[in-house]
Amino acid sequence: MSHFQSSYQRVARDSCFTRLDIRSKLFMICAVTAVALLWQNLAASGSLTLGIILVALWAGIDWRYIRSVLLLSTIFGVTLLFFHGFFPHVGIHQLAGRTTLTPLFTFPAHWRLLGGQALYREGLLYGLSVLAKTLSVVLIIPVGIFTTELDNLIVGLVRAGLPYKIAFIFSSTLRFFPLLLTRIQTITEAQRLRGLALEKMGVVQKTRSYAKIAVPLILGVLLRSQMLELTLQARAFSGSAERTQLHDSRWGPGDYLLCAGSALFWGGALIAYFGWGIGKW
Amino acid sequence: MTKPLVRLYNVSYLYPGAKTPALKNINLEIHPGEFLGLIGPTGAGKSTLCQTLNGSVPQFYGGRFFGQVIVAGLDTVEHPISELARHGGLVFEDPEMQLVAPSVENEIALGLENLSVPRAEIRARITQVLAAVRLSGAEKRHPQELSGGQKQRLAIAAALAMRPALLVLDEPTSQLDPLGAAEVFATLRQLNRELGITILLTGHDAEELAAHTDRIALLAGGELVAQGPPQEIYSRVELLAAHHLRPPQVTHTFQLVRQRGVVIPQLPTRLAAGKRLLHALPTSCPTAKNESVAAPDHLGPALLAIKNLTQRYANGTPALHNISLKIRAGEYVLLVGQNGAGKSTLVKHFLNLLTPTAGTVTVDGLDTRQLETSELAQRIGYVGQNPDDQLFTASVEDEVAFALQNLGYAEAEIKRRVTVGLRQLGLAAQRTAHPLSLPRGDRARLVIAAVLAMEPEIIILDEPTTGQDYRGVKYILELSRELHQRGKTIIVITHHLYLMPEYAERVIVLGKGTILLDAPLRRAYHAKELLRRTYLTPPQAVLLAQELAPPAGGSAPLRVTPEEVAACFLPGGGR
Repeated sequence: MSHFQSSYQRVARDSCFTRLDIRSKLFMICAVTAVALLWQNLAASGSLTLGIILVALWAGIDWRYIRSVLLLSTIFGVTLLFFHGFFPHVGIHQLAGRTTLTPLFTFPAHWRLLGGQALYREGLLYGLSVLAKTLSVVLIIPVGIFTTELDNLIVGLVRAGLPYKIAFIFSSTLRFFPLLLTRIQTITEAQRLRGLALEKMGVVQKTRSYAKIAVPLILGVLLRSQMLELTLQARAFSGSAERTQLHDSRWGPGDYLLCAGSALFWGGALIAYFGWGIGKW
Repeated sequence: MTKPLVRLYNVSYLYPGAKTPALKNINLEIHPGEFLGLIGPTGAGKSTLCQTLNGSVPQFYGGRFFGQVIVAGLDTVEHPISELARHGGLVFEDPEMQLVAPSVENEIALGLENLSVPRAEIRARITQVLAAVRLSGAEKRHPQELSGGQKQRLAIAAALAMRPALLVLDEPTSQLDPLGAAEVFATLRQLNRELGITILLTGHDAEELAAHTDRIALLAGGELVAQGPPQEIYSRVELLAAHHLRPPQVTHTFQLVRQRGVVIPQLPTRLAAGKRLLHALPTSCPTAKNESVAAPDHLGPALLAIKNLTQRYANGTPALHNISLKIRAGEYVLLVGQNGAGKSTLVKHFLNLLTPTAGTVTVDGLDTRQLETSELAQRIGYVGQNPDDQLFTASVEDEVAFALQNLGYAEAEIKRRVTVGLRQLGLAAQRTAHPLSLPRGDRARLVIAAVLAMEPEIIILDEPTTGQDYRGVKYILELSRELHQRGKTIIVITHHLYLMPEYAERVIVLGKGTILLDAPLRRAYHAKELLRRTYLTPPQAVLLAQELAPPAGGSAPLRVTPEEVAACFLPGGGR
């Protein structure tokens, strides 16, 4: 199993986050998400994203995982910048408080399709701000989830009022994802061992080749799910909430501290936003 | 006679959509404290029978079920699987597939939590069962960090924690090295003797089953063909052969001795009994027929060359350390070593599936780092351990055609080669079937057909015998012999040393990422102490051969097969 896959489930080392209850971490995720969605200012949103990356590294999330997320987000980012930069919607005008935006660059008028089209500064800033918000939300989740043992995750979620079956399905999905990635890797390896030269293919050919993996992948996953179900039934699993737990979910001073800190951050951000306009465009 | 713990009355079963029954009119009783071995060829119905005991058949699979199965007084059709789990624990073949929790202690706790066992009691049982399977101290470890044998013992511990009266194990040792298998058998025997747990175990490991079980039941074509003490069943060599099974090598050896006119009232089924018998009979070993330990002289130049190869995983774990070796064109090499010794890691370098941390790997003089896996695959055919990881198309013929399409063959040529390949591997009749619908033995042969379609010069078979019955094993090995005779270079990785004397010429023994021995097969098989360092045991025929008195003034002959050992017994001897 590659490092990316194994780190998806659980961080490799202990930190103060691994000792916290999932409920306090869920509260932190909600608070940070709310602030990320509130702020429109690029400097504020970007600082939040940077801060979350630092917290994630401190919590033990593997840098390669963060890098993978950042790389994947570049496709999303380029799309955002293109559309908001060239075709800014009315909301951007309202945020900027002006009817005319600042053009940074204009295509020569005689160019087909793009002739006369301008790239606007406010559109780009808005696109970058949306990208930063998205990254903040995407990266704060693993800080809470990956630093929690799956068993503690189930216990915490059940304590938080989620039905046991739903909590179990949630944890199983997290467990299943790395297996799915491993399966994709196994199939592509088997194809290369039969002379499939993926490295010499163009994007279309490659996409077509990956699409063909879907059927064996789904079949493999179905077989695996069937085996999992058999295994669970053989361990007396019935989905009933009438069960005991090896581990208890206890709140410690750290959990209270995290909740208080998250609430303060959220409340402070709200006051600063509406009181002094901090975080506004 | 005690009341049976398990009773099967006239049990027949058909899977949904099946035309022939997987089980036919089975009547079987298992008594408390008994250790029953269930043997049979692939497709005999062993796994199906196992799953009737926890109610998965028919409750999980559906289908048509006839007769009655009673476990601890409960009808397995009337009671839910989760309730039956309290009485009968089921351990499957693949340890990877049945471990679902993030830590060893959670794995064991899962069943107990489902049974609403109080926390203090769960903790007590975790300690107990981990001690019973010799995994104490591993509570906090992730199951994926354990070795194959340890994983299977953890699966046993998880079933055991629920304190079932019956423990059912479906081929639990098929993917383990000899050490892992021995650990599992020793643990089961201990649980059976000390805790009185009734055990039903299926498998192909004749030597271990003969040594540990109280009774053997032979299943073939869904029917119970014979049952009795291991001594009795394994002595019926013709019966076993008729069902594509083999007796322990010690039994086979003395059956050959008997055929030489030596009077042997009872064939031994255990090694210790074989050794006693050997010393009681007159023997004479002047010279062995094939005593040569030199490398064969028909070999070509070095085709694969490894120089100072070191491989470290991303987390720094060393997998291979400073390995150097050459494999010449036309060689038949056996690569052996315990699980995790680095065998598969080594061969993956030939295909550039792994990049050396240090050192070089060349194929016919070309550095593998300069070549893509797809290019190397045309010269080196790699058949991995698990066929299901290597099947990815919708039909048997598509599977074989896949490589040919990649190599750019014309449609007519692809069709011709697919037909030839499928016929060669005995799969012509299943041409349009979905690969995953085939029995495991056929799936393994299909992967071989798909790889051979590329006509590679070198063929690597990584644990080709896993999950195969003796017929399947012989089929694959005979094919490897045929390919070798056609000039191909063959590399086989296996734990089953007893299979290879007829085929391999050279043995490379790996241990903890280094080469412990690189020698002709006879010399390697007799290096008992060195093999032990990588937790391997020579075949019983070799161990018997080492008991034979050396000829006067000479050294002990390096005999490796039952036939060679039997030849040392003087005709007309015995009691």
